[in-house]
Amino acid sequence: MTPRFLVRIPLMKFLPRALLPLLFATFVQAAPQDDQYVPGPDSQVQKGVPQGKVTQMPAWTHSKIYPGTTRDWWIYVPAQCKPGSPANVMVFCDGGGFVKADGTFRAPVVFDNLIAKGEMPVTIGIFINPGVFPAASPKEKPRSNRSFEYDSLGDLHARFLIEEILPEVAKNHKLTDDPEGRAICGNSSGGICAFTVAWERPDAFRKVVSHIGSFTNIRGGHVYPALIRKTEKKPLKVFLQDGKNDIDNQFGNWPLANQDMAAALKFAGYDFQFVLGEGKHNGKHGGALLPDTLRWLWKK
Amino acid sequence: MKHTLLILGLLATTTCAQDTSLHDYLIDGEPWQEAASGFAFTDGLCCDKDGNLFFTDVKAGRGIYKIDAATGKTDLFLDSLPGISGLQIGPDGRFYACHNKEQRIIAITMKGEVEVLLTGVKCNDLVVSKNGNLYFTETPTLSVHLITRDKKHIVADTGHVQKPNGITISPDERTLVVSEHGGKHVWAWRIEDDGTLTGGAPFMTMWLPLGKDIAAGDGAATESNGRCFVTTELGVQIFDPAGRLSGIIAKPEPQSKVVSVEFAGKNHDILHIAAGGKVFRRKLKVKGYY
Repeated sequence: MTPRFLVRIPLMKFLPRALLPLLFATFVQAAPQDDQYVPGPDSQVQKGVPQGKVTQMPAWTHSKIYPGTTRDWWIYVPAQCKPGSPANVMVFCDGGGFVKADGTFRAPVVFDNLIAKGEMPVTIGIFINPGVFPAASPKEKPRSNRSFEYDSLGDLHARFLIEEILPEVAKNHKLTDDPEGRAICGNSSGGICAFTVAWERPDAFRKVVSHIGSFTNIRGGHVYPALIRKTEKKPLKVFLQDGKNDIDNQFGNWPLANQDMAAALKFAGYDFQFVLGEGKHNGKHGGALLPDTLRWLWKK
Repeated sequence: MKHTLLILGLLATTTCAQDTSLHDYLIDGEPWQEAASGFAFTDGLCCDKDGNLFFTDVKAGRGIYKIDAATGKTDLFLDSLPGISGLQIGPDGRFYACHNKEQRIIAITMKGEVEVLLTGVKCNDLVVSKNGNLYFTETPTLSVHLITRDKKHIVADTGHVQKPNGITISPDERTLVVSEHGGKHVWAWRIEDDGTLTGGAPFMTMWLPLGKDIAAGDGAATESNGRCFVTTELGVQIFDPAGRLSGIIAKPEPQSKVVSVEFAGKNHDILHIAAGGKVFRRKLKVKGYY
């Protein structure tokens, strides 16, 4: 039952070898039951739709919250963004995967299409990878800080985004201060991370998208259903996706954990949606759903 | 769009040291077995390249003891060195030791010739890198020390780790790991080219005994794929290179205190632990980093 994480070969040619170790185990190879999930027209570049601009930012090397780490990140600015009028914000954990124009999620393309149709607000995307402790030479591998940053409970990652990343983006772009206009999305450990950020800081983030979220006991995240049931309801809007064939391992059972989360959110009266598909631990279903997910997430 | 050439895909990689459970470590029908007994307080487990195990009896012993990898027989290997709490064989073939009783760090040849490297430290446990940098924990002062290969002494970290105790190094020798005896974390730092430590963080969280808030982390060892084995009150806790708890190997005797851990044996696949007056051994599916 131990998942083996496999590099998708077509990506390899795009990746500088030194960056390979930065990639972190999240997605197993897609299985036949995942093949039913394919991106629809809203995930394709459409003629005549204005395209936003994706910019790779200089690597974030001076984090005070995660000292010693470095990470890659990108910003997507919609074509409709007007200087001076505040844009909504959506943060993507493991952002390098989400920002890719021909990837499973193609978030910038989906944003272009939905914003053009008025189906989501003008939203700046922040795509940020987890930190690594850099290798000293190309022969060495960096040490990933991903599990520490994403699987840990507490406010550390929320603070990292609020105190370090958002102010950096705000230097050049006017961002909304309204927490209802700020969303965070992630897959697997990035999924629980997205929930943790909003759970800890609903004053800053109120919209959560989790695909194949690791609400299991990697670093204590299995307690969320119990916490949700007994904690006064927070003003969060939560989208959860998982697949029946997701992981079952020493940390827990992903489909059961996500069902437990959904049941707790329902019990406590949250504005939430849960989609349980048939897939394994990969982004195919979440990627195919993303346009619908964002329409629901941003609907007032 | 040019950026697409630069960015990482949907995050996937071959990390075979990930997502392991106890099924990947333990062998059915290979429980703990007594390897040595009759001591007061065994500690300081280390091994040589042939898989012979060395240990001390820190409270009552005479020196360094050896369990022969071929015969399994235990002998006093070096006499007249009582009170060693941490021990490892360095790249030069000498023992390096936390001579706790004498509050000093020493190097010892296989014949017993002693060189004093540092005095006046309440040293507990140590690790020596392949390039000769020596790191040791000083539990009461909450410090991790470095003695560089050119014998310069540096306090590498102080005031962060709650009673630093066990210490080990990653197989690429770029990450130093120290367990908390008075907390619940195992810390990790990046090792810079000059041996100094940066980016320290409570990277791993040990499982706590019910109703307690300290894990009593103690001796630590590194498995060949970079997993970290740490002795605690609950048993030997295993962390993968991502810092996630994979599983806990139970103690051989529920009441015993397990303070040191090391892979030894001809193939370096026999896990040894110091548990009170005894040393126990157990064959695993994985090997130690030596």
